[in-house]
This record gives sequence, structure tokens and C-alpha cells, in this order.
Amino acid sequence: MKHADIKETAEALFNEQRNPFGAFTLGSETHHAVTIPDAVRRCRWIAVDMNASAFGLFFVSPSPERARLVPCFDSDYPGIAVATKFISGANGEEIVRHTRISTEPRWWTDDGVPATAELFGDFAWTERMAALVPGTSGIAFPVHADRGQCGLVVFLGSEMTLQQDALYEVHARCFSLFAAVARIRPGDAGRMRAISKRELECLKLTANGNTSEEIARLLKLSVHTANQYLTQSTQKLNAVNRNQAVAKALRLGLIE
Amino acid sequence: MSSPAARLQSDTLGSRLTSRGDLTSFFMQLTAEIGADSYMLVAIVHDQDRNDARIVSSNWIFDAIELIGKRLIAGLAQGALTVAPGIRPQPLVASRAPEADGLVTGEEARLLDVLGHAEIYSLRLNVGRQRLFALFSAATAGSIDQPALMRAQLKCCYALSHIPQLIAAAAMQDPLSDRERECLFWVSEGKTTDEVAVILGVSSNTVNSYITHAIQKFAASNRAMAIATAIRSGII
Repeated sequence: MKHADIKETAEALFNEQRNPFGAFTLGSETHHAVTIPDAVRRCRWIAVDMNASAFGLFFVSPSPERARLVPCFDSDYPGIAVATKFISGANGEEIVRHTRISTEPRWWTDDGVPATAELFGDFAWTERMAALVPGTSGIAFPVHADRGQCGLVVFLGSEMTLQQDALYEVHARCFSLFAAVARIRPGDAGRMRAISKRELECLKLTANGNTSEEIARLLKLSVHTANQYLTQSTQKLNAVNRNQAVAKALRLGLIE
Repeated sequence: MSSPAARLQSDTLGSRLTSRGDLTSFFMQLTAEIGADSYMLVAIVHDQDRNDARIVSSNWIFDAIELIGKRLIAGLAQGALTVAPGIRPQPLVASRAPEADGLVTGEEARLLDVLGHAEIYSLRLNVGRQRLFALFSAATAGSIDQPALMRAQLKCCYALSHIPQLIAAAAMQDPLSDRERECLFWVSEGKTTDEVAVILGVSSNTVNSYITHAIQKFAASNRAMAIATAIRSGII
């Protein structure tokens, strides 16, 4: 089999098994996002389905200190929408705290548009919050990816339509969109020099609490060689010390 | 706009959830609505190389859990079968196991089948930063409604969001105080004790004591291991 054929077969298999929208209807979203523009397109489809006029995807910063949302993209991509500036500013602090402890969607509405309040107010599971962007209505979905990354997908619009059943579907689609975005976001993964099997073994043992001496004994190496492996993997991961190397390797999924 | 018919009993039960008793009735109702017979809510606790399953709530008969063992339950809850919200779940069908992924042996599959778990779905639940797993199973393969199951996965996430203290206590995933977590986060970013002290505006001794406490709480042997444990359980 030629390389291209193998790749095609593998992709078809992957899409068939992992297609998150198989249970839903839209045929246009069968491929996993591989780039940010793809992700924007996917998000636009979700927005179209609920008649939202704008959207944005944000990361919740892992630092416990900064309760801020880091914008990834929005409906003005490649530009940045004004709404995004409000959300990533102080207005987002409440929803960041919410996202860390809860997965329930939250909505807000402009007082001038009672129809939206009526629409969302009727839903099970979601509650109202303070407006993320003044003078608008919107709904925010907390999302989480495999490696513990945390985020928020926000839709805005004064004429949104959504049914109770569609709420779960939209949220499910946000989850799989975020998982795809979280996979591409660690930007240095692609440029990283390959880490050898031996180096990963040493890192894994370090993560399990072993010292260099213990690693040397377990892997039947000299202490000097074990240290050498750890120094190399730290450099390759672009980390400043072992602690950061262990953290990066875990977050990138290089070790379990 | 939303039709009242779309609201099921599980929605009503789940959105009012406040206690462990409510949790049981919510899961029983949800299990019935998706065409399943059994449910099990599991938290995974990392202990070095081993993953331990902690059962938060379940209607499996006690003997079945004894026979199958926590190790297999941990494997089912966190294996190749498990899907995040938004990904179409695939069941483990006991009569077709073992398959290539080697999740269960033939013997274990027969045992599951006999005990009334002919098909099992495993779902990852995100409750804020906490992570749990739900196993839904049926005595007859093919009786669980997949689209309903995908909706149920989100409902579980929502419902469990109402009882964060109970979930955290059950999973014991985040024993750290805010300060300890902050210190550990900065150490995982490669900062030294002195640097963390400057960032947080406290003395180096204080930082060291926070980190020592975090290490003790995780029963870890050093900083690297405490960081690894915290990242694995999604705390930092």
C-alpha cells in the first residue's frame, strides 16, 4: 500500500470511529479541526445552528492567581471582536470561577430583549449570570479537554434559538471542538526535537518520585548517564529545570 | 420556544440535586431513560503507577463488584472505551470480547455477561476541573439508546456540578489549600522557591512550608512527584 493510501484509510477509520457528530445531523463537520481556521469554521456552524451572530473560544489560564480568560479565536477571526475584549477583561472573572467548579452553561441577556430571557429562562440546568458583554445576550459553555485544559465557548446574539435537547448537542459539539483546539494549541510540540525512549523512561520515573540514583539503579545505568538523559529531555522540552520538564511532559501527554 | 415535553424527569431531579440521596434517584432515573439497567459513578485516584477506582454511587449488586474487582473497574472507567463529552461512545460488548484492545480477558467478559453487563459504555464526566467516570450497562446488548446516552453524559456533568463538595470529598482529588496549589503551580512552571516567594509576596520559608505540606498531602517523596500527582488529577 502506498503511503497516501495508508494515510487515507487511517483517516477514514479515525473519522468513522471518532466522529463526534455521528449521532447528530450536520454533515459538514465530519472532519476534526486540524488548524485554527478549521476550528473557526466548525464553531461558525454551531453558531449558525443556534442563530447566534457572534462567538468566541477562550482558555481558562491554569494559574490559580489570574482569573482571566485567554482568547483563542472569535467570529472576527483573524481579527479580534470588541466583545472578546470585554470577556477577556474583568467581566470574565465570575465565569472563570464558575468554570473551575461547574460544567453547567450560563446565559445572560440584555434587558431590552425579553424574548431571550424567556427562551433561556425556561431551560433545565442553566442559570442567568451578569452580562459578559454589555448590551448583548449570550450563552457560555464551560469545556474541558483531555489534559485538564479548561475553556469557555461563548455565543452572542439577540435572536438565538435553542431547544432543550439541542442544548446538550451544542455543548457536546463545543466539547469536541475544544478538544481539537487544545490538541493544536501547545505550539512548541511540533517544533520540539524528538525525545528518546530512554529519556522518557527517566522522566516518568522522576514523575513517580525517584531520584537520579534510584533511576540509575532501576534502569541499570550510571548516575551520570541518568542525569544526562534528564538534562537532555529538559532541554528538548524547553524547560528550565526537571520539575518543569515533568510538568510539560505530562501536559503534552508524552508520559502518563 | 423549548417545548415542555423535552424536559424529562431526570432533568427535574438533576437540576434540584443537593444530596447523596438525590444523586442516587437522579442516576436511577437517567439509567432507565436511556434504556440501561445499571450505572456506576467512579472516581479514579492516582497512586504512583496504579489507578484506584473509588465508587461514588452505583446500583451494581455488591457481589458483582467483589467478583469483578476494583482493578478491572478502574480499567473500564479509564480505558480505551472511555469517551469525553461530544465523542460518539462505543460499547464494550461482552459476547464479542476480548478484542484487540485487550481491555478485558475472555474470562472477565464472560463474568460481566453473566452478571448482567452484556454491554457497557464508559463516559468521562467533567465537573469543573474534577474528573469522574460513569459506566452505563445493560443486560441485553443493543438496548442503550446512543443519542440519549450522549445527552445523558452532559446531564451527569451538570448534575454533579451541583454538589462540588460531595464530589471533591468522594474523589479526594484536591486536598490542597489555595496557597499550596498556587505554590505547586509555579514550581511546575519551573520557578525556584525564591522566585515563587517574589511572585506571591511571601518569604521563602513560607513557600517551602506550603510545598512541604502539599508533598505530605499527596504522600509524595519529592517536588517532582507532587507536581506529577497534581497534574494527573487535574488540580494544576
